[in-house]
Amino acid sequence: MKKILMAAASAVLACGIGFAAVGCGTNGDIVVISRESGSGTRGAFMELIGLEDNELVAGADEANSTDVVTSSVEDAEKAIGYISLGSLDTSRVKAVQVDGVDASVANVKNDTYKLSRPFNVAWKKGSTNELRDDFLKYVASEQAQTIISADYIFNVEDAETYTPAELSGTLTIGGSSSVTKLMQALAEGYMELNDGVTITVTQSDSGTGMTDAASGSIDLGMASRALKDSEKEKLESTAIALDGIAVIVNKENPCTNLTVEQLKKIYNGEAKNWSDVDVTFPEK
Amino acid sequence: MAEKVVSGAETLKRRQKADVKELLMKIIFIIAAVAFIAAVAVICIFIFAQAYPAIREIGLFQFLFGTHWWPTIDEPQFGIAPMIVGSCYVTAGALVIGVPIGLLTAAFMAFYCPKGIYKVMKPATNILAGIPSIVYGYFGLRVIVPMIADIGGGSGKSILAASVVLGIMILPTIISVSENALRAVPKNYFEGAVALGATKERAIFRTMFPAAKSGVMTSVILGLGRVIGETMAVVMICGNSAVFPDSIFDGVRTMTANIVLELGYAEGLHRSALIATAAVLFVFILIITLLVSLIRKKAK
Repeated sequence: MKKILMAAASAVLACGIGFAAVGCGTNGDIVVISRESGSGTRGAFMELIGLEDNELVAGADEANSTDVVTSSVEDAEKAIGYISLGSLDTSRVKAVQVDGVDASVANVKNDTYKLSRPFNVAWKKGSTNELRDDFLKYVASEQAQTIISADYIFNVEDAETYTPAELSGTLTIGGSSSVTKLMQALAEGYMELNDGVTITVTQSDSGTGMTDAASGSIDLGMASRALKDSEKEKLESTAIALDGIAVIVNKENPCTNLTVEQLKKIYNGEAKNWSDVDVTFPEK
Repeated sequence: MAEKVVSGAETLKRRQKADVKELLMKIIFIIAAVAFIAAVAVICIFIFAQAYPAIREIGLFQFLFGTHWWPTIDEPQFGIAPMIVGSCYVTAGALVIGVPIGLLTAAFMAFYCPKGIYKVMKPATNILAGIPSIVYGYFGLRVIVPMIADIGGGSGKSILAASVVLGIMILPTIISVSENALRAVPKNYFEGAVALGATKERAIFRTMFPAAKSGVMTSVILGLGRVIGETMAVVMICGNSAVFPDSIFDGVRTMTANIVLELGYAEGLHRSALIATAAVLFVFILIITLLVSLIRKKAK
């Protein structure tokens, strides 16, 4: 039995080494990092660059969170990834221009930056909740504007000043991890003005947020994308902010600008090397 | 005479009381056993009841051997062949790395280790066992992955990265279970071997290890079980691309990673397909368990 085990182990080892020898160097040098299918960021990004979900280049890494994308790009010189503009940490990675426009809040607001998306909140159709309505009033107010416009783009024109309605109770909010950070700040701001209210914000993802809101297990669901038609049947929604998606590369990467067309080629596998999108790394 | 009868009745009474206690405990034990069996049964029923409609709709052959996992497009395809292959590669890789290191460490701790070092090594293995898998994942992402990217190119998130991290993860299991098994072998086996002229090494690897075979095998199986079911660490470092890998420097997606990545988003058939993935994993583990008991029976 030991011999069988030994044989099996060495066969596996040999296979591994064989594969390693054969497989090296067949791919190009762009390390494409994406998010998992279903992620709000991925859904928005793929739609914005004009790709179907299954057209993603085979072999692209699918990271399961924003931080994994950032870490991967920070550590790999020839990597490219995309994250929510609000989560961009320019001390770790570099954001490239898209179609010659900087990835900045100002440029999403004036609609020149191509990669932007809405942050939606949704609730069960026909349900009534005084506290929720009051909170939504706050989210569209002048006070909320200062919170939202710190990182994102405020979506309401002529916002009015919010006055507390002296309500009490609890409000549960859940959904997209991209929206959670903003929602927590808004919830804190609201609770400061309304002593009797407790708001709990839980993080999952856009899909779960919509499902939970439709089933009524939470009062408000968050989604970092437009609602699907199947979701619109059960939910009412409003956009509380706009967000941009930043395309990030390693700080050593000389690339400063990519067009949407080039991004599309990178993410569908037509461009496999940085030289295919006119980026030359300095010789070492 | 009368007194004796009374005392006899009393002892009988006492015994009856004891019987009641015994019966009570018996019932409690049965309840515990039933609760355990019920938990297993409910999980099995849940998985297979949810998986069956999906497998019927997709087709068993299409599901197991389909090479495309495109769950979110208009005409979705659910093929988990890349994930099955991914799970197998990662598991094999982790065992190749973890088993030799683990078994040799166990031999060291059981036969060679000076007391002072043992006092450090034993708690160290326990600490290794207590580290949450998400921490292993993050360690892999920031330390192992960049190292592998330097060697093999690409992002570094690969079969090799997952194998190294999982190989480390299963060390405590393999070390402590095999060490106990080696210690449980009677000392005179070792002494006998040495008396017959064997060197210390020969005695350990030719006499003690075969004598502790069952425990050593158990440690490997426990490690195997942990690797194939590991989720949070793997999902951060294996790349998660649902395609067949060309080399050990390529990313893969394991079955567990597939479930945890998409279950949150999935609706309808997609969700059922993920549960069906869990069912396939379940069957895998069942087959492994059966195979092992078969091997052990034959070995005996």
